[in-house]
Amino acid sequence: MNNKTTIPFGPQHPVLPEPLHLKLVMEDEKVVEAIPALGYVHRGLEKLAEVKDFTQNTYLVERICGICSVMHAQAYVQGIETLMNIEIPKRAKYLRVIWGELHRIHSHLLWLGLLADAFGFESLFMQCWRDREKVMDIMEETAGARIVISVNAVGGTRRDLNNEQMAKIVTVVDQIHADMKVMEGAFLNDYTVKHRLCGIGTLTAAEAYQFGAVGPMARASGVAQDLRTMGYAAYADLDFQMVVEKDGDSWARTAVRFKEVYECIRLIKAAIAKIPSGDFAVPVKGNPSGEVISRVEQPRGEVLYYIKGNGTKNLDRLRVRTPTFANIPTLLKMIPGSQLADVPVLLLTIDPCISCTER
Amino acid sequence: MIDNITEITKAELLSEAQKMASQKYRFVTSTCVDLGEDNLDVIYHFDKDTQLKNLRIKAKRGAEIPSISSVYLCAVLIENEMKELFGLNVTGIAIDYGGHFLLTPDELKNPQSKISIVKKGEN
Repeated sequence: MNNKTTIPFGPQHPVLPEPLHLKLVMEDEKVVEAIPALGYVHRGLEKLAEVKDFTQNTYLVERICGICSVMHAQAYVQGIETLMNIEIPKRAKYLRVIWGELHRIHSHLLWLGLLADAFGFESLFMQCWRDREKVMDIMEETAGARIVISVNAVGGTRRDLNNEQMAKIVTVVDQIHADMKVMEGAFLNDYTVKHRLCGIGTLTAAEAYQFGAVGPMARASGVAQDLRTMGYAAYADLDFQMVVEKDGDSWARTAVRFKEVYECIRLIKAAIAKIPSGDFAVPVKGNPSGEVISRVEQPRGEVLYYIKGNGTKNLDRLRVRTPTFANIPTLLKMIPGSQLADVPVLLLTIDPCISCTER
Repeated sequence: MIDNITEITKAELLSEAQKMASQKYRFVTSTCVDLGEDNLDVIYHFDKDTQLKNLRIKAKRGAEIPSISSVYLCAVLIENEMKELFGLNVTGIAIDYGGHFLLTPDELKNPQSKISIVKKGEN
């Protein structure tokens, strides 16, 4: 007798801020098969990029995703600068690190809050988002917007930071560091949290590699893979330390993201301490021609931009592979065999950004 | 300007993918580029220790290309996407969404392909 039941999980589900559908084949409470389905909000931005000019595309790619908008623009402008042989000022490289790492902090705090909410710790959720607001306020003060801050431009940055702003950033990230220390016990050592996360959705290092996992997903499984080690922007000068865990379960993924916030704070303070004076942009002449691949480490992992220019202001092709697109296949391994009650937490631990995926 | 790119044929794709897997390369993604007049470039990107290696094949729209999902299961999503958005006929995908991964039945076919405008009386 076939006692399998197929149930839809999403596209509308309390744990999902964005629409993703999973077709779950169940045997009682156990999931035996999970097939992801996308396409609910696909926007065709890669096609739109072919009719916008290459400078307008900087603002278009920021709108692929709000949470990592700075790093989308960074990957794009780095690619265009390579195609056009533009050497940007050193100050701009440091500014890109500062705003980029601030974005990583607010992305990780957003995710940590959502996870806390998913396992029922509403006060912890509010504490995470309270600290995230402090980063949002910095964004507004330094760039005039909270999320899509449009600071990157081909040739450098559109804005600079003055000494008062940088001093304030240091004060605020120190406050966040102190608050994180208070939350650390709950996220990493609490009995109930460990019960919900430890041993759930384990992905070994070999499986992470085989399923193409990137970012904290891969690093939580012991795969030491972070593009910041390549030293793009100013990372080569800042002694970047990668956070890697070995267990490969939901707790390890939480630990990687939690500890990465400390590393972001250290990087921001190091960049502010070392930032050179001078220009923050150079003039840009001409149009991009040729093919290039540009990669950046976003909060969710590696983003890849393939750019093909034809010597005119329009591009022949702009292709974006976002980290969530790479991490979705890991669900095919993690969810089968788990209990239905664990599916929301498992899905959350890939930190799904459907806006990125449905670019 | 792309470093480490090798042009291969469709027939060599699976064996090259297997070589990559045996050398512990991670599959990053594939990129399909419409060159116009139904010519497509498909670039497969692999990574090992942050170094990229790329394989390029040239194909006509609608021509059969073997899926590499038997070697790298994680290629299923991008192969389904290329199939729908560019009309690349990828065969043997481990999870084949049958043309409805992103598109619904009443949407345009191959919406990412180049659009050419033909003046009245020229066609």
